[in-house]
Amino acid sequence: MTDDKDVLRDVWFGRIPTCFTLYQDEITEREAEPYYLLLPRISYLTLVTDKVKKHFQKVMRQEEASEIWFEYEGTPLKWHYPIGLLFDLHASNTALPWSITVHFKNFPEKDLLHCHSKDVIEAHFMACIKEADALKHKSQVINEMQKKDHKQLWMGLQNDKFEQFWAINRKLMEYPPEESGFRYIPFRIYQATTERPFIQKLFRPIDSGGQLHTLGDLLKDVCPSAITPEDGEKKTQVMIHGIEPMLETPLQWLSEHMSYPDNFLHISIIPRPTD
Amino acid sequence: MSFSMAGEEDFFLEEKTFKQYCEEFIKHSQKIGDGWEWRTSKDFADGYLSKTHFQITNRNVPPDPKEKNNDNIEQTLFMHVEESLDDSQVDGDCATAEVIRYEYHVLYSSSYQVPVLYFRACFLDGRALTLDEIWKSVHACYQARLLEGPWDTITQQEHPLLGQPFFVLHPCRTNEFMSALLTSSRKENRQTNYIASWLSIVGPVVGLNLSLSYAKLASEQNTGADVI
Repeated sequence: MTDDKDVLRDVWFGRIPTCFTLYQDEITEREAEPYYLLLPRISYLTLVTDKVKKHFQKVMRQEEASEIWFEYEGTPLKWHYPIGLLFDLHASNTALPWSITVHFKNFPEKDLLHCHSKDVIEAHFMACIKEADALKHKSQVINEMQKKDHKQLWMGLQNDKFEQFWAINRKLMEYPPEESGFRYIPFRIYQATTERPFIQKLFRPIDSGGQLHTLGDLLKDVCPSAITPEDGEKKTQVMIHGIEPMLETPLQWLSEHMSYPDNFLHISIIPRPTD
Repeated sequence: MSFSMAGEEDFFLEEKTFKQYCEEFIKHSQKIGDGWEWRTSKDFADGYLSKTHFQITNRNVPPDPKEKNNDNIEQTLFMHVEESLDDSQVDGDCATAEVIRYEYHVLYSSSYQVPVLYFRACFLDGRALTLDEIWKSVHACYQARLLEGPWDTITQQEHPLLGQPFFVLHPCRTNEFMSALLTSSRKENRQTNYIASWLSIVGPVVGLNLSLSYAKLASEQNTGADVI
């Protein structure tokens, strides 16, 4: 369906206008101007911020190369989460542009993974894809692919090439004709208020009667507090890629059309704005 | 024992079976006093095995594979820690950097249906060890095994329950070596605790040793696997 392919494009080309500001305690030779950038929702911070790094390193004293890290309102931002997820989870109901603070010192070892090179991002990205395929196809599809196909997925993401990426990714979105969907749906549900970083469980796209499970069914099963209204008023929003999909949406459809390039549905449960 | 058998002798470990093996494992650990405990996440019923031990680097004490149980080592190490700290106060040297705190967690991966080993290490002052530094503390013969072993790599990942960086031995090939091991013990009608067997293979390469007494740990359930 043409409409469905449009969704794939809309997801891929989503952008978040962002303002990067250098942390005030960083030592500079002259004043550091903020740097503005449109961030791809589907990518990772350390993959798309080379220009940000160069911009701020120009005004800093020549010290040893230290690892850049990002923070939003005191919270270190996990580069291994997709950018769109970070925004939806931490800043979706605030005014644009998204204001991110840039650090080069005091790397928060207890909060953030290190990211010393692009290889680390690639390894993480591919590990997510492999795990998603373990859930969807018992790893059969990903294992049948050649190394160059794996490489193409990564290059498609890195170079923002929709067609290049989907030429391979479409195979990961297929399922045997005798089935009605994937074996299990790759998803993670995030809530900023919990110690536990995310909820991930085995969940089938079809129920025992052959009916398609919906987003609402998933939430009722693994995160009921997200949709059962307390005092009759819904206190939370369920957000994927900056929108609130209808709870009646079939999970299989969401998995095929609104997953991130890592093939996971990253779902945010956030407080509903009270205005 | 509930293992799901796919066409090719794949021994997928179901989550409730994982918990049963862990319960058995903990009981034995409490008997011999080697420090394993079961921890649960705050908001859900998920849990994992956890063990913390201390090691002194400068004294060059590699994990001894022949050591029958680890509680003797822990007692000794604690004594050494106290001694060196006293010395440091007299000399003005800082000896805390010599002591490393290792933390090991065994979690269940529902995606791969296998257990996964998470670990991290830090000095007493809180400074985290890099992967290189951890590897250097592993006994030389295990370093070779690490390079040739049937696992992908050790990478840094977010702990799925605590949200903090840990090192992880990648789980996607666990089934390969566990299948071989479990097939042969079934042939010999020998009952095994999956967790103890698995940990005895992967543990030593990252500095974690298991008392040989775990080998006697038999499943308290029926003999033989249920073929589904």
